[in-house]
Amino acid sequence: MTASPSGGGSDATSAWAAAASVAVRPRGWLRSETSRRLSFGYLLLAPAVLYVLLLVGAPFLFSLYLALSDANVGDPVASFAGLENFRAALESDVFYIALRNSILFTLVAAVLKGILGTLLAFLLLQPFWGKKIVRGLVVIPFTLPIAISVLSWKWMYDSQFSVINWFLSRIGVIGSYGSPDWPIWLGQPYLALAACIIVNVWRTYPFSAIVLLAGFTSVPNEVLDAARVDGTNFFQRFRYVVVPMIAPILLIGFLFDTVFTLSDLSIVYLLTQGGPANATKILPVLAYQVGIQAGALGRGAAISLFLFPLLLPLMILLLRNLKRRDY
Amino acid sequence: MATVRTPQQKEIRRHLWIYGALTPYIIIAIFPIYWMIITAFKQEPDLYRMDIFPLWFHMAPTFKHFTYLFVSTNYGAWLINTMSISLWVAVITLLTAVPAGYSLARLRIPGSENMGIAVFMTYLVPAIILFLPLSRVVAMLGLQDNWWALVVVYPTFTIPFCTWLLMGFFKTVPMEMEEAARVDGCGYFGALMRVVLPVSIPGMLTAVIFAFTLSMQDFLYGLAFVSAGDQKPVPVGVPTELIRGDVFFWGSLMAAALMVGLPVALLYNFFLDRFIQGITGGVGK
Repeated sequence: MTASPSGGGSDATSAWAAAASVAVRPRGWLRSETSRRLSFGYLLLAPAVLYVLLLVGAPFLFSLYLALSDANVGDPVASFAGLENFRAALESDVFYIALRNSILFTLVAAVLKGILGTLLAFLLLQPFWGKKIVRGLVVIPFTLPIAISVLSWKWMYDSQFSVINWFLSRIGVIGSYGSPDWPIWLGQPYLALAACIIVNVWRTYPFSAIVLLAGFTSVPNEVLDAARVDGTNFFQRFRYVVVPMIAPILLIGFLFDTVFTLSDLSIVYLLTQGGPANATKILPVLAYQVGIQAGALGRGAAISLFLFPLLLPLMILLLRNLKRRDY
Repeated sequence: MATVRTPQQKEIRRHLWIYGALTPYIIIAIFPIYWMIITAFKQEPDLYRMDIFPLWFHMAPTFKHFTYLFVSTNYGAWLINTMSISLWVAVITLLTAVPAGYSLARLRIPGSENMGIAVFMTYLVPAIILFLPLSRVVAMLGLQDNWWALVVVYPTFTIPFCTWLLMGFFKTVPMEMEEAARVDGCGYFGALMRVVLPVSIPGMLTAVIFAFTLSMQDFLYGLAFVSAGDQKPVPVGVPTELIRGDVFFWGSLMAAALMVGLPVALLYNFFLDRFIQGITGGVGK
């Protein structure tokens, strides 16, 4: 229990240790301000910490156990299988396809939303009339529940009645329905992957923009003025003042988005279920199909744990960053 | 004449540039919603015509798709499930995250900063890693195929997020008020209940909103844990139950998506800055 993935466990043990030591201290200490404050503090903290330990910490450890066992939906008694599930994953072709697609998906999407988000942030940084309304409108993709907006995209990607194709056909980029250059968005391998990436980018570039904007506005004007007085030009100020100051915020935003993108199943699951012919198969979809649909809990857990080494360096970076910040 | 511009003209030109650059962004952002609306109100034959301008009605708008949802599907039940789940998740989140956030922010517990970071990190443990072991937990509790499973599971992300958010919030409440209350004879508990909580209502309201909007963003847990048709929340029920085989009834699908998507998006929109503040640790104001 104490070895929670996040390291919260050791703090909890010290909490119990402190609570235990309260009992053996002399009565004077027990009545002291500090001890009352601390025991009240731990009491208030306990429900949240217990909930998280029981339903995030323990399941995380349990997923390690599942990955090392031959657990199955039909058979509740699992026996130890060693690294068999990991070996099976590494030996299957579809795993490598999913891994490649996951990385490709995340990288391409990150670059695109970086560019779109930065442009949008610079635009929203300008003072102009009606900014609040414009901001409210451009962030809508991020605020819509994801399963809902993916449905709308699925309809826009319809093989025959795609409104995107109607538009492209109207401006003369493609021919009419039935012509060889009529794209079947979700039916052609590369297009399908592109279609999934487009939805992810559409959903999260407003998030990138808003995070950047939060960063820009957190730089005090006095600092910029001081730098201006020192004779710096715009690019110097940007490079040596703004970027270092907003780096922590950017990193958190980037990490948050990467975790979301790497581990999100809904876009691909709802659009293509990983098809056609595994062209959009990503690790989360594979883990779901193996773990729940095929009922091989152990196999599924092993596949989803392969996401962890991809996420770990980012998490460590974030942790170092959070520790350095002051409140 | 063209070379001399008044400041006013300059300002107008600047605005035109900015609006011009923002227009594609706005169109891209809201077009899928516009398309949802128009599809939801179109009559069936009007939907499947590629020869005429598809972005407007060619037959009278209809409420048929909406009535179909409530009469012939479980949509009404999903709405009730969604509301009930959100309500319970909000209650659990408030009961745990408010005390925890207060404790971490104000009671100077040793290691409170690390513990705060640890709580936030658990928010980033993705559902895709937890859903398989949690499916066992759900089965153990006897909640499979029941929306109560989601009431148990959603707090795994709402508690960490709201604790972190409220921690930041409680730091902004002036310390002197509590101290004054304690000097006046309130204990720690009394100071919390009588002084801190009343001024923290905006923070708690935000936490409730997030318990709701973050629950609505889930798809995986609902998909994996609830397969009974009448037990699903809306975001899971619509794509899994309203699509039968290869037949898509886009009118009713879009109507179903719209009725939930639009209110959630609006609500979230108002609180988006709080969300960003939450995850960036309150650095940006």
